[in-house]
Amino acid sequence: MTEEVNSSEEMKEIDVTPSPGSILTVMISILVTTFLVYIYRRIIVRQIRRSVWKSAGDDVVLVHCPTPGYLTPNISPFVMKLLTYLRLAQIPYKLEHDEPMGAKGKTPWITLNGEELHDSQLIIEALSKKFDKDFNSGLSEEEKAIARGFAMMIEEHIAWGLRVWRFIVDDGRTLLEGMKQPFFVSLIKPIFVRSQKAALWYQGLGRHSPSEVENMITADLRALSKYLGRKPYLMGDNLTEVDCTMFAFMANILYNYNRSPYYDIIKGEFTNLYDYVLRVKGRLWPDWNQCLEKTKLK
Amino acid sequence: MVMPSAIGNGPYFIVSEAISSVASVWKKGKAYFLTGTVCFGIVKAIFYYKKQCQRNKWRSVGKDVVVLHLFPRGRYCPNVSPFVVKLETYLRMAGISYELDFEEPLGPKGKCPWITWNGKDLADSQIIIETLGKYYGKNFSSHLKAEDKALGVSLRLMVEEHFFWCNVMWRWIFDQSFVVSSLTDWGTWLPFHWFYRPVIGQLLYLEAYMQGIGRHTESEVLAMGHQDLQALSIFLGDHPFILGDKPTEVDCSIFGMLAQICWNSAGSPFLKLIETDYKNLIDYCHRMKEEFWPDWEYCLQPLEKQRLPKTSFRPPYCKTYEAIVLHE
Repeated sequence: MTEEVNSSEEMKEIDVTPSPGSILTVMISILVTTFLVYIYRRIIVRQIRRSVWKSAGDDVVLVHCPTPGYLTPNISPFVMKLLTYLRLAQIPYKLEHDEPMGAKGKTPWITLNGEELHDSQLIIEALSKKFDKDFNSGLSEEEKAIARGFAMMIEEHIAWGLRVWRFIVDDGRTLLEGMKQPFFVSLIKPIFVRSQKAALWYQGLGRHSPSEVENMITADLRALSKYLGRKPYLMGDNLTEVDCTMFAFMANILYNYNRSPYYDIIKGEFTNLYDYVLRVKGRLWPDWNQCLEKTKLK
Repeated sequence: MVMPSAIGNGPYFIVSEAISSVASVWKKGKAYFLTGTVCFGIVKAIFYYKKQCQRNKWRSVGKDVVVLHLFPRGRYCPNVSPFVVKLETYLRMAGISYELDFEEPLGPKGKCPWITWNGKDLADSQIIIETLGKYYGKNFSSHLKAEDKALGVSLRLMVEEHFFWCNVMWRWIFDQSFVVSSLTDWGTWLPFHWFYRPVIGQLLYLEAYMQGIGRHTESEVLAMGHQDLQALSIFLGDHPFILGDKPTEVDCSIFGMLAQICWNSAGSPFLKLIETDYKNLIDYCHRMKEEFWPDWEYCLQPLEKQRLPKTSFRPPYCKTYEAIVLHE
């Protein structure tokens, strides 16, 4: 009897709260391990990757981009622009998905003969100089200026207007629908969406109401449609560099933005843009379906 | 079997300690707390009253008169912001009378310019131009073909969305002679150059970084700006205005931006470019200035040092200048 009482009293006095010293030790060891793993991945794994990339081949462009999408070969229109240009210029390329974000925090970027180039427009200019491909040579000086104006309009205004719909109106759902993502991405999606909304605020278009942005982008699409008119391509009968940009963004609207008002506008009012997308797709992307991601993540 | 001892009582213990400490602070500092609340309330009431006075002043201009809220006047160019020059040029082109307000330059969307008009606040220069154009029935592009209108849209966007950021990068980040501090008397309490310029520069760099152009190096940004100016110059060619013989809304945008290069960017590589290679852009700026800003000198700072004419010169556009001329 007394033994049972003594043992229960002893058990009541066992203090199981961890001492401050042991908590500190555990925390410090977790931090140090995390830091070492980070260093390993940042420095050593990157060096290993780059030595692998050097062996890709001479004059073979290695394009670093996100994994293919379900509806378009890539969810990012800038990647589509670069790939369309590489197909137009018939420059052999390979895709690589380990490090999609480059040194400037943007995608796509390329490695060519061990050298790294960033920003799709700068890449296209460098490649056209290196491989001596000038698709604007058939244009007059004025037409080249016009092409630049339209390229800027698409990349700097329509791109941001589409992001307003994707992140502010649609809350980033197209990111999960358009591309195969690991399971945890749906958990951290709200953080990414919030950072993109902040970027939209800083850029300027995020300050307007979504209906105001819709009016602006519709006016831009109308301008594109009116300038295209009945021509096969934007600047006439031949494909030029601005067609890569235009095709990338119009295809993005048609395939990735099914629920947006811009899809209805292109299908209903500006049908020449829809025909244009099919025309360029048939010419430069005959293997469109093979480039899409097939396996769906459950 | 382990009885819950210190662990189980821990959270309850912490909460009860917190509540008792707040209660003791309240007992000791009741007077301070109440005084603080009252002072806060008084300050809020003063601000509210000032805001109401401001709103009454704006409302008193009358129906269909635009109250334009803008940054202070510049020393070499009527404003430091290209969008303000764009909007003011449009108001002059359309013959809409407007009053100036320098007290609240940043509007409901945190940007400048914005207007108060018939009791409504409108922001974003392009939205304002389209709204006013529809209301007053002014369409300066009606004579154009659909293709030329499309071109106008693309050129305006190239200048406003791309070249604007190249210029921002030069003006606030790359320019080591900090010309921006001397462009106007910013009217700040502390010296603008030492206190406000670095902060605003960093904020604009963050905005440019988010936009994308801020991530490039200096030579890349200047090359992009060069290409934009080249495209503008080639497209302008020999025409008097960008889309032909008559000025349109697009001319307001392009003039607003080029005026910054022409007058507000001493030592800038863009200014060197348009002085040497693209002279038609400088002629274009002077042409727009003579057409829509005959009172250019009276729109510069410092206002009190301008030599005002002896005859009563009444510019048809801006009522505020009538007041200045009459009081002198």
